[in-house]
Amino acid sequence: MMAAASITLQRIPAKPFYFNTSAHLLRITKYKAGTLAELLDALRECPEDSIFQHTFRTLEEHHFLRAGFSNDFAHWALAACNEPGLAEAFASVDVREFTSVAELRVRFIQILEKYLRENPEPGTHVADEPFYFCASDIVVMPTSFQAHTLHEFTEGIRSVSVHSIHHHFIEARLRIKLMSNDFSQWLHEDAGLTETARSLNRIDIYTATLEDVRDQMVRILERALT
Amino acid sequence: MEPVNSQTAPSPALSETTFDSVASPRPERRTAPRTWETPPAPVPSPHLDDYQSIVGSAVIEELRFLARDLKGKSLKMVNSTAVGGGVAEMLNRLVPLLGELEVVTHWDVITGGNDFFEVTKAFHNALHGSPYELTRHAQEIFLTYAEQNRQRMQFNEDVVVIHDPQPAPLIRSRHDGPTHWVWRCHIDLSNPHPQVWGFLRPFIEQYDATIVSSQSFARPLPIPQYLFYPCIDPLSEKNKPLDDSFVQKVCDEFGIDRSRPIVTQVSRFDRLKDPVGVVQAFKLARKYVDCQLVLAGGGASDDPEGAIVLKEVREAVDNDPDVIILDLPPWCALEINALQRASTLVVQKSIKEGFGLTVTEALWKGKPTIAGAVGGIPNQVIHGLTGSLVHSVEGCAYQIRYLLTHPEFAAQLGRNGSEHVKENFLMTTNVRRWLLLLQILLRGATT
Repeated sequence: MMAAASITLQRIPAKPFYFNTSAHLLRITKYKAGTLAELLDALRECPEDSIFQHTFRTLEEHHFLRAGFSNDFAHWALAACNEPGLAEAFASVDVREFTSVAELRVRFIQILEKYLRENPEPGTHVADEPFYFCASDIVVMPTSFQAHTLHEFTEGIRSVSVHSIHHHFIEARLRIKLMSNDFSQWLHEDAGLTETARSLNRIDIYTATLEDVRDQMVRILERALT
Repeated sequence: MEPVNSQTAPSPALSETTFDSVASPRPERRTAPRTWETPPAPVPSPHLDDYQSIVGSAVIEELRFLARDLKGKSLKMVNSTAVGGGVAEMLNRLVPLLGELEVVTHWDVITGGNDFFEVTKAFHNALHGSPYELTRHAQEIFLTYAEQNRQRMQFNEDVVVIHDPQPAPLIRSRHDGPTHWVWRCHIDLSNPHPQVWGFLRPFIEQYDATIVSSQSFARPLPIPQYLFYPCIDPLSEKNKPLDDSFVQKVCDEFGIDRSRPIVTQVSRFDRLKDPVGVVQAFKLARKYVDCQLVLAGGGASDDPEGAIVLKEVREAVDNDPDVIILDLPPWCALEINALQRASTLVVQKSIKEGFGLTVTEALWKGKPTIAGAVGGIPNQVIHGLTGSLVHSVEGCAYQIRYLLTHPEFAAQLGRNGSEHVKENFLMTTNVRRWLLLLQILLRGATT
């Protein structure tokens, strides 16, 4: 493996990697839920960008937490509805297993339907606070970083904002429709570093902050460079 | 359970104190700062690069990229006061920063007589849910001044942002031109007086978008509603880093013993901030853990109700030497900053709250924070992760005890809280939101 990597590093990657980033503006939609039954209705009807906001995006907003926060639905189920079982089920949804928001929506609906079938009573309990469905308007923009070599790529990862890391590493799967991310795709397809690409893709985003994720990426890339 | 004198305590006050400790002789205590009668000269506004050391160069670079396509575009902000109040304070910082990014930003202030501002104050209270009888006379006063201001003002910018209800009827100047109109509402509309909201709503519906400060403040409207959390400026007098020698000087002046845990609430003497409840919670907690309480507020000298509340607080304190009450004038930002930094814990036990910027300030300073679960506070304090949310005096007392005796956990809350503010509630985030809004309005967003 090391030999393969060092051979690959001799050549210039086929294409440079352009680091982009995205910025999001929160919009409040007309959907809100005061009970779990209403949450189920709203989950079925709300726009896809609301599902995106409360799963992918909320991870970015809370990127500094190592544990205890996975998505807004889980947080609300626990904090406002006092339903730890449901919160745990919602929290176990890993956004990286989904390449479309539609599939992700179905997963949350299935979890809630099952929970309410088995526990019909909480469905009509009024939550301490309503759940307000928000959505994101997104603007994608370039950064000043681009990488023509693995060294520059490592420097880019070290230097870009956590928003850029989130954009390429977490949101990317919705764009590329693959169980992967922009960084791993470039390493695999353009730099020929398939094992490094896989190692990056295995980083656990739910037990680390995005800064931790960045540090892990840099360590993996530095190993590939040596 | 962690020992009280854990070596990993977040502050010397926690690590060196036990319940049985004996306080050192108390220095002479002042109840007002030496700056009482002399407001300091205004400090110059910071530049964008000054924020780089706080949020990182990549974040500043993102702002410049966002602004690149907006160069030469123009924006007008209109509100009802140039000084005093949170909106003016925010605009005083925001407008120069947008200008530095070459977004031409004008700021106009509406004018009116006492009768106008009496009506708008009544509207403000009614929109917060207070009882009110909306008379035809009040409507006439409101609309007459609005029309005078409308005649006086020009609206040639690409985007016009009207802040709060007072100038809302300026939307009548909207023509068929390309100007986009946005209504920025800073007040809690979750339970508005139906008559007053019914009177204002036809104006609001003519705007292109509204901006509110919390999800719960949004009203059913046929236009997009954006969420802009209020923000603090990390370089302002109230939030900038301070030398510890200054913090010590302020504590010495007020007779606060930094060798013992300090629990602080910074708030006006207002029943909605529940200062009496804070005193009760402190007294319950102190049965088990040694601490002092600092209640730093204002409003008692120029507000008759504030004076009554202060009297109630003093009765509840009952000459307890461990409770320090400070009635501070509005220009004591540095002293407030120092008190927050000296604190072991910060409490904001509000019963009703807008967004709760004192909570933001405490979180930014990395202070473990205990706050009432009202208004915009749950947006900032995620229970058990970025702080502690409470619903009662007893709950507040328990959290004081718990955090004072679990310093590692308290320190982690403080660190998380500070990161939460850095990501979501700083002036730089606010600048980013405005640039995004302009991008979205002027050229459409990639969604």
